[in-house]
Amino acid sequence: MSEADCSQGLDGFEALLQAKANELVSVLDSGDINSGLNIINELQQVKHLAFYNEVGYLTRGLHEAIKSFSDDAKVHTEPGNGKADSIHGMADASQRLSYVIELTEKTSHDTMDRVDKSLALVDKLDQQSGRFVDLLSLVGQLESEFEGLHGVYDRTNQLSKESEMAVKDLRHELTEILVSQSYQDITGQLIRRVITLVTQVEGSLVQLMDMAAKVERISGLNAGQSQVETKEKAKKDPIEAEGPQLAGKNNPGVAADQDDVDDLLSSLGF
Amino acid sequence: MGDIVLKKDIKILVVDDFSTMRRIIKNLLRDLGFTNVVEADDGKTAMPILQQGEVQFLVTDWNMPGMTGIDLVRAVRADPKMAGMPILMVTAEAKREQIIAAAQAGVNGYVIKPFTAAVLKGKIDKIFDRIGS
Repeated sequence: MSEADCSQGLDGFEALLQAKANELVSVLDSGDINSGLNIINELQQVKHLAFYNEVGYLTRGLHEAIKSFSDDAKVHTEPGNGKADSIHGMADASQRLSYVIELTEKTSHDTMDRVDKSLALVDKLDQQSGRFVDLLSLVGQLESEFEGLHGVYDRTNQLSKESEMAVKDLRHELTEILVSQSYQDITGQLIRRVITLVTQVEGSLVQLMDMAAKVERISGLNAGQSQVETKEKAKKDPIEAEGPQLAGKNNPGVAADQDDVDDLLSSLGF
Repeated sequence: MGDIVLKKDIKILVVDDFSTMRRIIKNLLRDLGFTNVVEADDGKTAMPILQQGEVQFLVTDWNMPGMTGIDLVRAVRADPKMAGMPILMVTAEAKREQIIAAAQAGVNGYVIKPFTAAVLKGKIDKIFDRIGS
């Protein structure tokens, strides 16, 4: 059933209700109680049917939405075999998120492997510059003996110092690349929370689909039959681990940076 | 001079469930001259290592499956043999209540993620300065 069909159905019910109400008034005015009761019964049945169709529409919509979600991921859901105990699309979403964590972890380690190799090369450059200084002092000693070497020592010495500075800067930049890999931890913690949420939503949807399947099996609806389970949310521990806070949330109860942490702790005498 | 050699030689335990973060902290410690570093991925796996009695400095995350960092800090402080061990908490947990609770549980330093190399090194230096004095 398409969305248009359904809304037409609802509009149709409203139009019918209007027409029947007028008819009811006129038959009651003429004293025909029997016809009046028939009209009320008829309306009651049409209302049940409209409600039943709505529930059916929602149920099918739910199935379709979950199926198309799985199709996006190129995973095909098995044809419905009655009772569902897991939803492929949802399980797949969790798997994809887990894969993001796995992939970023691997890539971070690859990056750090290269940083380690680069740092080893920097160490080598440091050693070479030590040997270079030794050779250079030899040039310094020879300089006085050869007119053509005049000034070479000073200029080479200057170059060597610049090169040492560049190596120092390089070491600093490599360390920063290393530390920036901490994004993997931060994003990983955030993604884990989403995985937990998806798993909870999946559980609720499975229950909902189960309920919908029962609705489809029976032909009528008894008012008050459905019972919604409400779980009293346990009182939240104020210091329970929450993972990374979202940037820009601007919550006064949350430290925005290391300075906030330091200020808070020193204000309390720690 | 003898003091410095002793200091750099100490055994350090780094506890974090993300291998990336353990590696970053381990490398920064190496930059500072600390090369005797062991790792654990949560409080549960950290405890047996700590109970061997060789670890002299603990760096721990908070949010970990199994046993969290705050529970690990409390367990360490409750053990008379380890009650005086310096502890640095390195975590993304940034709520005021959490920071205060960690201080009350007895951490010697609190660094929030993401951090810079300078901040982490600064906090570690500070902890060792306090112990030295």
